Amino acid sequence: MLSLLSSLLSLLFVFLISCCIITNHFSFRPLSLLKLLGFIKFTASRDDDNNYKRDEGTYVVGEEELQRELMPRHVAVIMDGNRRWAKREGLLTSQGHEAGAKRLIDFSELCFKLGIHTVSAFAFSTENWGRHKIEVKCLMSLIQHYLKSKIQYFQREETRVSIIGNLTKIPESLRQTIHEIEEATKSYKKKHLVLAIDYSGRLDILRACKSIVHKSETGLIREEDVDEALIERELLTNSTEFPSPDLLIRTSGEQRISNFFLWQLAYTELFFSPVHWPDFDKDKLVEALVSYQRRERRFGCRV
Amino acid sequence: MDLNQSMRLLSSWIAQIGGLGLDLLWRFIHLVVSLWYIVSGIIEAVESYAISLGLNKKYSSINIEKLRCLAVVVDIEEARDVSKVIELLQWLRTIGVKQVGLFDSQGLLKKSKDMILGTVPGSVLSEEIGEKNSSPDQNPLALEFISSSDNKEAVMKAANILLQDYLKSSRPENDKGENFFTETHLNEALRVVGENVHAPDLLLVYGPIRSHLGFPAWRLRYTEIVHMGSLNYMRYGSLLKAIHKFTGVHQNYGT
Repeated sequence: MLSLLSSLLSLLFVFLISCCIITNHFSFRPLSLLKLLGFIKFTASRDDDNNYKRDEGTYVVGEEELQRELMPRHVAVIMDGNRRWAKREGLLTSQGHEAGAKRLIDFSELCFKLGIHTVSAFAFSTENWGRHKIEVKCLMSLIQHYLKSKIQYFQREETRVSIIGNLTKIPESLRQTIHEIEEATKSYKKKHLVLAIDYSGRLDILRACKSIVHKSETGLIREEDVDEALIERELLTNSTEFPSPDLLIRTSGEQRISNFFLWQLAYTELFFSPVHWPDFDKDKLVEALVSYQRRERRFGCRV
Repeated sequence: MDLNQSMRLLSSWIAQIGGLGLDLLWRFIHLVVSLWYIVSGIIEAVESYAISLGLNKKYSSINIEKLRCLAVVVDIEEARDVSKVIELLQWLRTIGVKQVGLFDSQGLLKKSKDMILGTVPGSVLSEEIGEKNSSPDQNPLALEFISSSDNKEAVMKAANILLQDYLKSSRPENDKGENFFTETHLNEALRVVGENVHAPDLLLVYGPIRSHLGFPAWRLRYTEIVHMGSLNYMRYGSLLKAIHKFTGVHQNYGT
């Protein structure tokens, strides 16, 4: 019995040694023991927010390390899949959108906790007006309800909230709520949540052109002053400190940008996730951020 | 004291052995994960070759009519190897794609335009299609060469044209330009500047990053974007798979 046990242990030892040799040979870079202990510590107290910061400058989340210095400054998200999620769960479309709204709050909270400055979300596109009237009405009510009920939350979290888009077609009550929340949070600088409502990337560019025309009529600019930088300053994202997203996430497996931030997404890392938006939890966000941090972005130049 | 020292020594050995054991276990886990990715890569490569050889019936007939315009974004480092781009174009021609836009941010492919047109059989510039029958080929491959100057700079020039037209036009005082600045007008202005405004149905990105690297933004509204990896490791099967997947996509355009 003893000899059998010692044989098994020897075999296991030899196997592990060969694993060690193979990993070194193929230049795999296993994490160090210290990081393993950090991982074990994290999984043991998974929901304890205090364990997010392990040591200065790095966060251990799940099995990978996210580096603070490589965190994107601006993350944009196209929240696709609420209806399909509701259908799969046997729920109403309105419940799907409600789940989506809750997911956005969690998502933005997590992003800010990880050091991301700006989060933009494509809440309602110009093309969405073509949906069923009841669904549109429900969406407008949902947005209004969430904005109104979260004013104190955003103030407590010191998060600035901005709403961009063509706000002329939305209900007056929602417009008032938007004004209220923007006024209540306009002084906060460290975190910025941008909601795009009735937004179209093409119309954003056109609106910028119109704005330039008005300024030229009042003599503020001359014809020859129109350049890329001027157009960028006139886009609806001019209220953000970082107008161009570093990372765009789109859920539900669709691989297109659907008229969102057309001008701003030139060098944005695109991450298409197959899960529906209400299911896009912390693990999926980490996956997106890890993917982002591994990329070598050159912004069109040779580095 | 000897007993204490012995205990300390024993604890130290146990700790070291334990540490070594955990380290080996961790490396074993990494090995398993790495092997998983290797196996996945091998399966993908085998599938790709099977598709290339026509062994997978699913990809033998593709409804290419749905793909009216394809765009290819190439990372500037990879655009330097024009032979790979030429090989890709030849594959696309074999599949039956009729119109291809080639983009790299610095216009390297634009500079190699003549070489590409001379090497890829049946290829013509997209501007020449519809003019006198310049190509004897019945099914020419229309090529368009695009760079970053066709993106924001082009929109800027088009905006300038609209601005000049607006200022020169006679309009009522309260006219805020609502009827002057529409998508149609900007499309027209872009055409005047010499830009193609047709939106590609599918955009294939070849390079290390999943970004369209500054492809003309105005045209990307509903374009499907697929990241294909490095051009150096491109496979015919992967290309066919991406196009086949596109033909099965259903868009509801926001409604």
